[in-house]
Amino acid sequence: MDILQALLNGFGVALAPVNLLLVLLGCLVGTLIGVLPGIGPISGVALLVPLTFALKLPPESALILLAGIYYGAMYGGSTTSILLNIPGETSSVVTAIDGHKLAKQGKAGPALAMAAWGSFIAGTLSVLGLMTLGPLLAQWAIRFGPAEYFALMVFGFSTLSALAGKNLFKALAATGFGLMLATVGQDPQSGIARYTFGVMQLEDGMDFLVVAIGLFAVSEVLVFLEEKAPGAVQAQVGRIYLSLRDFLSSLGTILRSSVIGFLIGILPGAGASIASFVAYTTEKRLLGPKARLGEGDLRGVAAPESANNAAAGGALIPLLTLGLPGSGTTAIMLGALMSLGVTPGPQMFQTHPQVVWGLIASMYVGNAVLLLLNLPLVGLFVRLLSVPAWFLIPAVLAISLIGVYAVNNNPFDLLLMAVFGLVGYLMRKLDFPLAPVLLGLVLGYLMEINLRRAMTISNGDIGYLFSSPIAIALWLLAGLSLLSPLIIARIGKRGLGNEEV
Amino acid sequence: MTDRIVGLVLLLLAIGYALEAARMEVSFFTDPLGPRPFPYIIAVLVGLSSLWLIARPDPEPAWPPRRFWPVLGLVLLSLVAYAYLVVPLGFVLATTLEMTLLSRLFGARLRTGFLSALAFSLGVYFLFTKALGVGLPAGRIFG
Repeated sequence: MDILQALLNGFGVALAPVNLLLVLLGCLVGTLIGVLPGIGPISGVALLVPLTFALKLPPESALILLAGIYYGAMYGGSTTSILLNIPGETSSVVTAIDGHKLAKQGKAGPALAMAAWGSFIAGTLSVLGLMTLGPLLAQWAIRFGPAEYFALMVFGFSTLSALAGKNLFKALAATGFGLMLATVGQDPQSGIARYTFGVMQLEDGMDFLVVAIGLFAVSEVLVFLEEKAPGAVQAQVGRIYLSLRDFLSSLGTILRSSVIGFLIGILPGAGASIASFVAYTTEKRLLGPKARLGEGDLRGVAAPESANNAAAGGALIPLLTLGLPGSGTTAIMLGALMSLGVTPGPQMFQTHPQVVWGLIASMYVGNAVLLLLNLPLVGLFVRLLSVPAWFLIPAVLAISLIGVYAVNNNPFDLLLMAVFGLVGYLMRKLDFPLAPVLLGLVLGYLMEINLRRAMTISNGDIGYLFSSPIAIALWLLAGLSLLSPLIIARIGKRGLGNEEV
Repeated sequence: MTDRIVGLVLLLLAIGYALEAARMEVSFFTDPLGPRPFPYIIAVLVGLSSLWLIARPDPEPAWPPRRFWPVLGLVLLSLVAYAYLVVPLGFVLATTLEMTLLSRLFGARLRTGFLSALAFSLGVYFLFTKALGVGLPAGRIFG
């Protein structure tokens, strides 16, 4: 199908009143989550999935809403970084370096405006990239058989484990733990119950939402409880404007960082945090000492903010074309789509064009919405920070309880949530990355079924897994990515810590 | 030291997981691979990672102060209690109690915490059940 025709149909979906409303809601909620420290995009998306089920939204509408939250949060994280030196998200940590210095110099307005324009341009460019690269990749991947799929997932887990945490083996253990959770319930082919230990509620397996909300949202509440987060804060915003001269001098930075962010975003495991960090250091090296990066330069805001928004678009490519999420947030989107009867993958471009193209078109709309809506509303979002922790955190927990209960209307899930809340808290304390658990849980079923299909085709010959050039290439890439932490350690760069996007 | 203990726990988990797979009864009518090998692969992955953790542990993590543990236990216990009480007590009452407890732990006064928890629970209850059509338990006391 012609891309332009497909896009036109996509706009038909995205501009339907319901979906327009959902883009708006997604962007608003996403920005809110981005602004509020402690509530990450993963928790935000996980908490809203039960709502999309309850409202019986069709898959395209659900995805439009969830994606809006995702890139909305990328944008929202910058606001508190700049104004208060409190990054709302890990992907905006770098923004605080120059952003907050600018704010102290009385240039909060230009910095906020730069973040908005950078996000807008980068977001739009990454949708363009998604639109052109996505169908190509899907066309190529449509020939994948079970052996290639299995190798692809091994590759996904390897890069994620290599990039997600400081300790490769902790990340691998976390991946394995997630895969263990995925095997709880009925065996996909023979139907016998595995690892249910006679508990009837486990026969259908563990719901990914219950695990996600426990692991991320509840454990965040527990961490907050430990740290007794600083409560209400106030900040001065000032007038938000950006002079044409500042804009033009930063345009190169925005464009370069968009490309960097987009490419890094495609890679499973490397997400917005790494993208923003790489973009910032690249600009620092490229611009040299004349640019005062690190002392309050607008380009120091433009680089990370463009990169993290572009990365959000890039991250959707492996999800939509291969069915391979590279982060916790996209894993939840995959789980949500699968619950709605859509399995993301190369065939989705043909079987569910309204989902893919509706999402792409909605992202053009969403990026414009973010720009138009959020600049005037910055003051309002900042005022939300003065909501005291003693109200905010219990409210987040209450919404988690609703979300978990609404999944199956079963109080047993609340028990599971409490267990995973504790597990998530301990994992955070012990420096185990959380995203691999979620990916293992969501992908485990597909991984096993592809392995078993491959073995059925080959009648049990393991060599079949390495029989095609694509499969061999993927196995090699997987091996290479597992070695990459060693290589990076050689070069002497330290990891950015837990990736939480 | 902590990582060594965690490694040991993970190792035991992997062994138990593999043993449980070995115990599964498999019928003859299945695919060539059957339900066991995939769990075996996972067990090997977790087992090897745990051995590495035992051999090369990370530095000690920053544990919270000792007086935090009872607080953590209290919150987890309250969540377990919530799971058992939400149907008999109903969403509004159970959630109000849970939120009040948590707001107290964050330093709110009992009255303020309780009233805002009640207002929030009521608001959310009606929003979800009436406007959004999500089923939440009304409780046996009032319903």
